[in-house]
Amino acid sequence: MTEVRAEMVANVWQVVASEGDAVADGDTLVILESMKMEIPVLAEAPGTLTKLAVAEGDVVQEGDLIAVIE
Amino acid sequence: MTRAVTVGLRATVRAAVTEADTATAMGSGDVPVLATPRLLALAEAAAYAAVAPQLADGLTTVGTSVSLEHRRASPLGTEVVVEAELTEVDGSRLVFGFIARVDGTDDVVLGAGTVERVVLDRARFIARARARDS
Repeated sequence: MTEVRAEMVANVWQVVASEGDAVADGDTLVILESMKMEIPVLAEAPGTLTKLAVAEGDVVQEGDLIAVIE
Repeated sequence: MTRAVTVGLRATVRAAVTEADTATAMGSGDVPVLATPRLLALAEAAAYAAVAPQLADGLTTVGTSVSLEHRRASPLGTEVVVEAELTEVDGSRLVFGFIARVDGTDDVVLGAGTVERVVLDRARFIARARARDS
């Protein structure tokens, strides 16, 4: 199981993937927005996206869970 | 970024202080001297200009952070020159130092500080900003 966590305080701009999706290492899961920039959050391992913990418009803090890949 | 965005890039902007540049006119105060936000605009313009020629088509920079000391009042007619230099490149984040002087002098410093700008795609940025408003 791989947990994907936020590396900074940010707004969730777009949720690209859906729970249940098969993802490859490097696939974009969500796009965060911080300091006017778009920051893609990528899958860090191949597998199935079993949990997507954020929705568009959410604010995430550093370390917050974004997704779980199994 | 197809061309090199490297530390040391610099640009200079000049402006004479007119009525429109004063704190009174800009609403930032009630004295007829160069407004601090106008000085900041010159600093941002110089920072923007320092790297703009290096950016690939479709890319631009936008401001994200600033630190500014406004040390000396500049009355109407003062010729102001602001030079910005790229001092740090951290991925898309660019840090510039700037110094503002009375034009033609080396030692009369009006102000100084730093500005940070980030490189991004202009069209995507505008679309994203508009989407937020709807």
